[in-house]
Amino acid sequence: MHRKLWIGALTAALLISLGWGFNEYRLAGDYRLVAENNNHRALIDFSSHLDQLETDMAKGNVASNPTQKILYLSQISSKSDAALKDFAQIPAEQAGLSYIGQFLVQAGEFSRTLTQRIAAGGQLSAQEDKTLNDWHEQLMPINQKVQDLIVRMDTENLVWTDPAPTLRQRLGFGGTKIAEAAADGSEIPAKSVRSGLDQLDASLQKLPPFTYTGEFATRVVPKPLGLPTGTVTQDQAQVIAQEFLGKVGYNNSTPVFSANSQGLLGGYTWNYKEAYLDVSQQGGVVTFYRDQRSIEPRKLSQEDATAKAKAVMISLGWQLVLTSSEDFGSYVQYDFVAEKEGVRIYPDKVRLMIALDNGQLVGFDSVPYYSFHQARNFPPKITMEQAVKKLRPNFQVTEKRLAVIAKSGNQDVYCYEFRGKYQGEEYLLYLDAATGAEEKIQRILKTPRGEFIQ
Amino acid sequence: MRLRMRHWGVLTIGLILSMAISGIAYGALGDRLLSKGSKGPEVTELQQKLAQLGYAIGTADGSFGTKTESAIQRFQKARGLTVDGLAGTQTINELKRLSGQSTNSTGKAVGTKSVETNLLARCVNAEARGEPYVGQVAVAAVILNRISDPAFPKTIADIVYQPQAFSSVADGQINLPPSADALRAAQEAVSGSDPSKGAVFFFNPAKTKNKYIWSRPQIIKIGNHIFTK
Repeated sequence: MHRKLWIGALTAALLISLGWGFNEYRLAGDYRLVAENNNHRALIDFSSHLDQLETDMAKGNVASNPTQKILYLSQISSKSDAALKDFAQIPAEQAGLSYIGQFLVQAGEFSRTLTQRIAAGGQLSAQEDKTLNDWHEQLMPINQKVQDLIVRMDTENLVWTDPAPTLRQRLGFGGTKIAEAAADGSEIPAKSVRSGLDQLDASLQKLPPFTYTGEFATRVVPKPLGLPTGTVTQDQAQVIAQEFLGKVGYNNSTPVFSANSQGLLGGYTWNYKEAYLDVSQQGGVVTFYRDQRSIEPRKLSQEDATAKAKAVMISLGWQLVLTSSEDFGSYVQYDFVAEKEGVRIYPDKVRLMIALDNGQLVGFDSVPYYSFHQARNFPPKITMEQAVKKLRPNFQVTEKRLAVIAKSGNQDVYCYEFRGKYQGEEYLLYLDAATGAEEKIQRILKTPRGEFIQ
Repeated sequence: MRLRMRHWGVLTIGLILSMAISGIAYGALGDRLLSKGSKGPEVTELQQKLAQLGYAIGTADGSFGTKTESAIQRFQKARGLTVDGLAGTQTINELKRLSGQSTNSTGKAVGTKSVETNLLARCVNAEARGEPYVGQVAVAAVILNRISDPAFPKTIADIVYQPQAFSSVADGQINLPPSADALRAAQEAVSGSDPSKGAVFFFNPAKTKNKYIWSRPQIIKIGNHIFTK
């Protein structure tokens, strides 16, 4: 009797667990399918965007009238963005730099720059025409190989990423990695979609670089323009850090050396209590300071903090003008920029943060100032009246001044700045001071934390 | 029979009346002090506003529990208010002001403009919890630096969800509610701070054996993370 009961109970348990297992298995299969479908979609989209990109490049090459040229060039930039987005969704073993991505970004950037130029009435040089053509030539094999990969996926059951290396391979008896083999010039058929793409990457690396390196090549200054000359030792840097901390309200501090930093504004980083501070090796100036102490409930108003910020700037030895502020709740962030002969120089910026509990400086960032500050001479310009005439009719100007603004590709432009309203929206318009050509348009929004420039 | 019908009628009218009255009694957000244990539509509104600003509360269920209390505390800490976990007039006014939409010059609402910052904050929280604040800003800055680097996708979501880019996406930590520090770090990086000095990768040397990442030129070490080109 007992035995029968046991057998019955065990059978029931077995059946229930089998049912549960089957259900889980089915669910896992469903999820796998969803993921698989998404991956597939990304790859097919990638291929079709590459294909459209290739077509637009061909058409862009032959187009001769400016409107057609603008049409195809702007399509090149939007198609390359779309292809890049798809590419980023294809499964990978690890994230790293990819030449396909770089190729797409550069193509997009280049055609965007050219679109803007032609739209402003400019023309392409013979060299740029050639670069566009080179791009097209290089894209064709990429396009073909991706299409091949899709066919092979359907016919050879390619997986998305390479399986983990076997014990034999780990011990060094296995063959070389496929991408490495491709870099050597040998072509072994890829075992997975990802290694197929890696092969493409490797073959792209072998091609000669473009004459156009992209706006991004110059997105940071090759060397800081504004740092004082001479270098300081670690001991000298400690004294500089100590002086700075004294001005901030930490008297008789002993900053503790934390690390050396490399790069453009490299130097020595220091810690004191919860504060963190960077002193540059060249010039020995404080480039970054942040007090990470906990900020108590606020006692100061925004106005008090603004007055405090201006006083701190003077005590640190800066003569800059306050241009904007942003409310972070427990502290307020202020941007100050340089002004010379009445011209606002926006790239030369210093940022401060003032805590609202006691008005202490909790943040300081002079990296932009030291990166971009240089002796500037202002070229001849059209008059303010002439510039105003270039504005769109019905644009109501509320503020106007001369300014230097940063342009992509790490360039400065000397401009007239107009703040004003048009059809219920507020804008900042920048006209080139020499020619009056429209250089930049920014839209101003009022957000709960302050003005936002888009 | 007729008597019973009337009973039902009275009961129905009574029910409708009591529901209407309870609706009025709850009133609008800010009419009364909300604290742990409070319930009602105004709590739901409070929870929605907190979530919109990135202070995760789980499901907005209209009941003020531990998660809501901790979200209120994080909000109060970040905004420099007295941290008591109670939603009083000052806290609610601050919350209402901040969760308002951005407007153009005629006052037309144009959305909140904070969706991407909240995702960035989640990523910072998942990748750099327990790191010094500067290190958290640096992690946010790395993600933003990738946008302008040719080798990476062009939006915050594309970068964060790129396969294998962040381990916290693969193991689901990205969905944890971001701390107040992570939120602030994300906002600060969006407004232009970059303590990483232009880095596009970061890693924890104690946890990473990946050869590629070790081969990148190192820029700076902040907390437990090394930031590289």
